[in-house]
Amino acid sequence: MDICILTWEYPPRIVGGISRHCEGLARSLAKMGHNTHIVTLEFPGAPLYEENEGVKIHRTLIELGHPNFIVWTFLFNHFMEKKIAELSRREKIDIIHAHDWLVAPAGISSKHYLKIPLVATVHSTEVGRSYGLHNPDSYLIDGIEWWLTYESERVIVTSSAMRKEVEEHFHLPSEKIDVIPNAIDASKYEVNVDRSAVKRRFGIHSHEKIILFIGRLVPQKGVEYLIRAAPKIIEQHPESRIVIVGDGWIKDQLWSLAASIGCQHKITFLGFVSDQDLIELTLSSDVLVVPSIYEPFGIVALEGMAAGIPVVASDVGGLAEIVEHDKTGFLAYRENPDSIAWGVNKILSDPGYASWLVQNAKRKIREVYSWEAVARKTIEVYKKALGE
Amino acid sequence: MGNRHAQFPDEIYLLHILHNIGAIDPGRALALEEIARWASMEPRRAEENLNKLIGEGYAEIKVVSGAKRYYVTANGIRKVLSIYS
Repeated sequence: MDICILTWEYPPRIVGGISRHCEGLARSLAKMGHNTHIVTLEFPGAPLYEENEGVKIHRTLIELGHPNFIVWTFLFNHFMEKKIAELSRREKIDIIHAHDWLVAPAGISSKHYLKIPLVATVHSTEVGRSYGLHNPDSYLIDGIEWWLTYESERVIVTSSAMRKEVEEHFHLPSEKIDVIPNAIDASKYEVNVDRSAVKRRFGIHSHEKIILFIGRLVPQKGVEYLIRAAPKIIEQHPESRIVIVGDGWIKDQLWSLAASIGCQHKITFLGFVSDQDLIELTLSSDVLVVPSIYEPFGIVALEGMAAGIPVVASDVGGLAEIVEHDKTGFLAYRENPDSIAWGVNKILSDPGYASWLVQNAKRKIREVYSWEAVARKTIEVYKKALGE
Repeated sequence: MGNRHAQFPDEIYLLHILHNIGAIDPGRALALEEIARWASMEPRRAEENLNKLIGEGYAEIKVVSGAKRYYVTANGIRKVLSIYS
């Protein structure tokens, strides 16, 4: 099959989970023998065209900009359309697969002029990310998301929670939606690390226990609830250190919060780190906390489970489907620092419990969340879209 | 997106403008006056914010014929995109 995947982020342009998702999916599709193109956006230092692990990556130069984000989005979609048109003159394309609203205009117009089916993966919705629609931009994005699902032959979501959200909010027929979970490459965690050396590199004492958070520093990730849980964790486990990896527009607010509750000396903000550092840091951690208040899937929880780190996740969306409470992790109540502290303390106090969670989680990763399985299921969806 | 723009600190608002108008590599770096015009911001205030962004590693300066030009770094791009992802 000749596949063209559209995404606004693809490594090394990594913002959220979409980049990793598209990379894992594209590599597995290429490995299965499918001719797989990625059409994405430029990034400093990345070539405009390259082949990586069999995937043909076309990066679009954004030739015009505008301060308004929505206008900017429509502009880059226009340049993506040009790229797809140019590609279609040289190569056969059977199907277009668009990831989220950001590439909807390019996906929809390509579907019409190439006369081929469009498949969309909805990773999250504006109404979910913003807890409702509160301004004209949000209403427009919501409209574009609906438009994408309407124009798509098939709609893929990554969890049953998202299926319910998309079905209800966009009034989409149930039979048009397929649930295909995210996946991860667990083999990247099969390395030995010198935990003390890794901790030293990041300014952490070797005796300290790392409570790790990985993600964008935006309200939906719920980092503030982990910070608010810090006093109760430190009270029981004074050797704990909360390490926050990632960046975002509420970083300064989070730093002020940590200072206001007197915990800034126990919290380290690392900002963005390299992939290799992230793997080593994860393997050197004692607990991974995923305190999201909205999470359509929650790939970070899978990363922790694959790395053999006990996971404390909030009981929301896709996280509640990945993490089985007291079996593959600890599910904390949403927006509840006491519940997060309870889970972290239980794991740190009871190595037998922590080990039980890790063993079960690793087994689940092997059985359910492999990229090969995701690629096979995606091909089935493409076949349905093509009427095969 | 909610009411995110209203909550942005000044320098993050400027970073977002700088990114959206395409100053994302040294070849597309812009002069202070151009940035101030795009952002509808006093040049002095724009310069203060740009200096903050440089301090955080989100922007860099390129000197062309003795004049400073500014652009967003890779981490600056990620910072901006985190708002919308």
